[in-house]
Amino acid sequence: MANKSVLFKIKRQASPSTEPFWEEFEVEYRPGLNVISLFMEVAVNPVTRAGKPTTPINYDSNCLEEVCGSCAMLINGKARMGCSALVDNLEQPITIEPFSKFPVIRDLQVDRSVLFENLKAVKAWVPIDGTYALGDGPRILPQVQEQAYQLSQCMSCCCCMEACPQFNESTGFVGAATIAQARLFNMHPTGKVLKQERLAALMGDGGIQECGYAQNCVEACPKDIPLTRSISDVGGDVMKKAILDFFRT
Amino acid sequence: MASTAQSTSSTLPKGVAPLRAGVGNSFLWRRLHSLTGIVPVGLFLLEHFLSNAEALNGVGAYNAQVKFLTGLPFRLGMEIFGIFIPLAFHALYGVYIWWRGENNVIDYPWAGNWFYTVQRYSGILVFAYVTYHIWYMRFAGVHLVDHYDASFWKVQHELSHQLALGIYVVGVIAASWHFGYGLFLFAAKWGIVTGKKAQKRAQAAGIALSILLMLMGLATVYAFVTAEPQKKNPVWDQHSESAPEQSRLIPQSTPSSQAR
Amino acid sequence: MATTTSRIIIVGGGLAGLSAAIKVAESGAHVDLFSLVPVKRSHSVCAQGGINAAKNLKGEGDSTWSHFDDTVYGGDFLANQAPVKAMCEMGPGIIDLLDRMGVPFNRTPEGLLDFRRFGGTLFNRTAFAGATTGQQLLYALDEQVRRFEAEGKVKKYEYWEFLSAVLDSQNVCRGICAMDLRTMEVLTFPADAVIMATGGVGAIFGKSTNSVVCTGSAQGSLYQQGAAYGNGEMIQVHPTCIPGEDKLRLMSESARGEGGRVWVPKNPSETRPGKQVPEGDRWYFLEDWYPKYGNLVPRDIATRAIHKVVHEHGLGIQGQPMVYLDLSHIDRATLDRKLGGILEIYEKFVGDDPRDVPMKIFPGMHYTMGGLWVDSDQMTNIQGLYAVGECDYSIHGANRLGANSLLSCIYAGFTAGPNAVKYAKSAPAAPDTIAASFEAERKRQLDANTRLVNNQGTENPFRLWRELGDVMSRNVTVTRYNDKLQETDVKLVELLERYRNVNLSDKSMWSNQSFLFARQLQNMLQLARVITQGAFLRNESRGSHYKPDFPERDDANFLKTTKAFFAPDADEPRFEWEPVDISLVTPRPRRYDSK
Repeated sequence: MANKSVLFKIKRQASPSTEPFWEEFEVEYRPGLNVISLFMEVAVNPVTRAGKPTTPINYDSNCLEEVCGSCAMLINGKARMGCSALVDNLEQPITIEPFSKFPVIRDLQVDRSVLFENLKAVKAWVPIDGTYALGDGPRILPQVQEQAYQLSQCMSCCCCMEACPQFNESTGFVGAATIAQARLFNMHPTGKVLKQERLAALMGDGGIQECGYAQNCVEACPKDIPLTRSISDVGGDVMKKAILDFFRT
Repeated sequence: MASTAQSTSSTLPKGVAPLRAGVGNSFLWRRLHSLTGIVPVGLFLLEHFLSNAEALNGVGAYNAQVKFLTGLPFRLGMEIFGIFIPLAFHALYGVYIWWRGENNVIDYPWAGNWFYTVQRYSGILVFAYVTYHIWYMRFAGVHLVDHYDASFWKVQHELSHQLALGIYVVGVIAASWHFGYGLFLFAAKWGIVTGKKAQKRAQAAGIALSILLMLMGLATVYAFVTAEPQKKNPVWDQHSESAPEQSRLIPQSTPSSQAR
Repeated sequence: MATTTSRIIIVGGGLAGLSAAIKVAESGAHVDLFSLVPVKRSHSVCAQGGINAAKNLKGEGDSTWSHFDDTVYGGDFLANQAPVKAMCEMGPGIIDLLDRMGVPFNRTPEGLLDFRRFGGTLFNRTAFAGATTGQQLLYALDEQVRRFEAEGKVKKYEYWEFLSAVLDSQNVCRGICAMDLRTMEVLTFPADAVIMATGGVGAIFGKSTNSVVCTGSAQGSLYQQGAAYGNGEMIQVHPTCIPGEDKLRLMSESARGEGGRVWVPKNPSETRPGKQVPEGDRWYFLEDWYPKYGNLVPRDIATRAIHKVVHEHGLGIQGQPMVYLDLSHIDRATLDRKLGGILEIYEKFVGDDPRDVPMKIFPGMHYTMGGLWVDSDQMTNIQGLYAVGECDYSIHGANRLGANSLLSCIYAGFTAGPNAVKYAKSAPAAPDTIAASFEAERKRQLDANTRLVNNQGTENPFRLWRELGDVMSRNVTVTRYNDKLQETDVKLVELLERYRNVNLSDKSMWSNQSFLFARQLQNMLQLARVITQGAFLRNESRGSHYKPDFPERDDANFLKTTKAFFAPDADEPRFEWEPVDISLVTPRPRRYDSK
């Protein structure tokens, strides 16, 4: 175990308008290391493997428990969370890159605000009348709660979008996360009131129709959210709406 | 469009656009593309494979089936509106879909992603193959509406070229896969089959259908290749004075087909 | 926008900040919401177990009074009682509201809210949504705020760092000075009132269960601007954490709530893996020492018991500072249903399946009971400046009960929001010098930036931070000795001195995270002194604050709130003590071994 080390290389970029470049690092191995703790080591000793002084790595992170969705990046080519990527399970040298389908801010930081815009577009909320006292919430059976809870664990990490071959600048596809959230709120006894609006939004350009059912989303999702199931369910709902709109309006 | 950090948004590259709620017709076109793949194109494919499989029953049976089909009423209308237009739409819009997808199966070599990729490339293959196939079988050479009895010979003659045989084998496999798996995709995307287990079953069924069609198609090809070589009847090169009544429904053969 | 619309700035987008934002936006005032991270990624997501409210749906005769009594008793009577009572009374209404917002709370077969039992109470009072209650609550509020955002009532400034408050010549808060984390631009923002909701101070202890952004920098900055800091020494150490390289991950109290048992092998030289140690060779020391509450004693008691077993009895697992938390006697289906999420955390980050083998855990820094001093309106001693949630000192006294934090965040936000709006309407007119005040504050912060980036020293800020974390974790957590605390303060002074020699390896002015961290470090160091000196001065044991040399609670001398003020000339804290409001329940000895 002595002198064992961890080798990794990072695709870095100083600013949105500059060219990316690679830097290689080596840190001492310890059991239980994850990708984020590698970055922490670099911050304490910002020197490349070749001995060249460099800058600490810029990356988004917060909870480090895989619930906040911050530290998503490409690790050995795959979209995943840096905090739950254990060095012991990764092939070395570990390659670490920023997401490829979101604008790079700096190093591993990217702009994922498109997801929050999408959540606005599908009105992903329960439109309550107000926060004043209005008594108990609706009764919900445990089975329904369990379904909702699965979907409600989406932490907006955008792994599903990064891994999706259809999520790109030419399609402007909304991505699985937003569709699953639309399903979540359509399922809620009160949230349902906006169901038709949500479905209509998802029938706009970049909507659910752009899904190619490669099913990468559900494989990439760190929280095992039933994303393809959601796409199919909402897919049925939009078809029903389309047909009813055609015959009944 | 980024609502966050307004002051920086102007300096950032754009990235993928947010959902355009309520904008555009892509939903209609994309769903129509999906639908046309099943009806009528998929249905026609099934019919076509079945009809061709008559080759397994011999020259006479095959030619009789061609006679039956070419003799159907409103054949031209059915051809144009039931086959050519939907097929052309499905093919051309399909190329557009293929062009816009960003294949990433190298980074994410998962089954669904492989199938996604294969669906796109098989579509392109089928498009190329069908264009060639229609040209040679429907428009070029001996005109089968005029000379149904030349049908078996024409196919066999075609398949006697090594290259053409290869193209047919690839075309049959690609078309079979594209339709069988496409049927599953249709069921999944339209919300007909939604659950995980049910989708597994549907996917298996789609693939099974693909394989069935492949076997059927390849058996048909095999039947043509291994049957006793047919001889060309010089009459077939003549034009349609002696042709059956219904053949007048179709336009006169083109000069180029006469030349051949 | 109409000129009559009040503008409220909220700093921090966790549960408390979003609660305040919702109330403010609903009242018609405009919200400018500042956050270091997209608000949906705030630290509130980490809360696992649940949220307390005496809904009394289990036929146990629970009441808001019992909840109140448990809370002040659990906090060892250091909390002012009126706000605690108000919070407990608001509890059931908050649960109903969250339920209406769509939080997927676990349900009974009848479709009603399910409740579980948490530490420090005998009632099933904790509503929960799987094992990620904090995440679910935060998302519900985030969604409501997104709705207000879409309506133009809330404007979010995500990836912005709060640097300081802008105070006028009368010391009234008139806005904030903040820095865009991407462009590094420093700007001031005027407001009629400012609500701070910046969470805990975990990073001061190096590794903790807190998120990366929980540095306490904002509180440290305000403290240096004159805000009083209350009960800084009250730091909760969570008994059950998973030791990790980058942080300590929480193993929720719900693991004990659902039947988890804490034990060590009776034989200190036991070599068999936990699963293979027979029942007779295990010592369930919590059940042994506290038969009534068993494994569900409050956090401080459990923490000290684990420390005692490991350090005094020498019974840590294979000589390591760890004990077993065992769920493997419960069937998988039940565990998956009730604790699935938190068990996955262990599985994911350790690699063992806690459904099969007992987990290895040890106490770690978890929660900041102390914080900015506030009155019952949640206003700090700086007029126009409010504080809510973990960054304020109220409610939890000397120790927080499990599942009370989420409630206290929402309570504080719901209290401060309307109060800030009310205050904004009647706030004194700004003096003529106000523009100069804004400009001066901006200049002060720009100068600090220039100084830091041009510094030509030898110190790496991340190394200083490691030293800070080590000394604070070692001396200012579970067990406190005065000599060690003095030693710690000397070390902190040394670190502050060395901080002047910080040299940044990254001097760029675009999204420079190490620059930001170095800025925060100075505030953290100042606040660390408040915590350490506060602990030194409190010569008693109360709640989470435990001094073996003063093992008893001393109400005669220390039933008082510690208030720390920054003395700029001395560059160190100055302390005052304020009597605690005990108007509703008379303090009684806090014992969980019998009651």
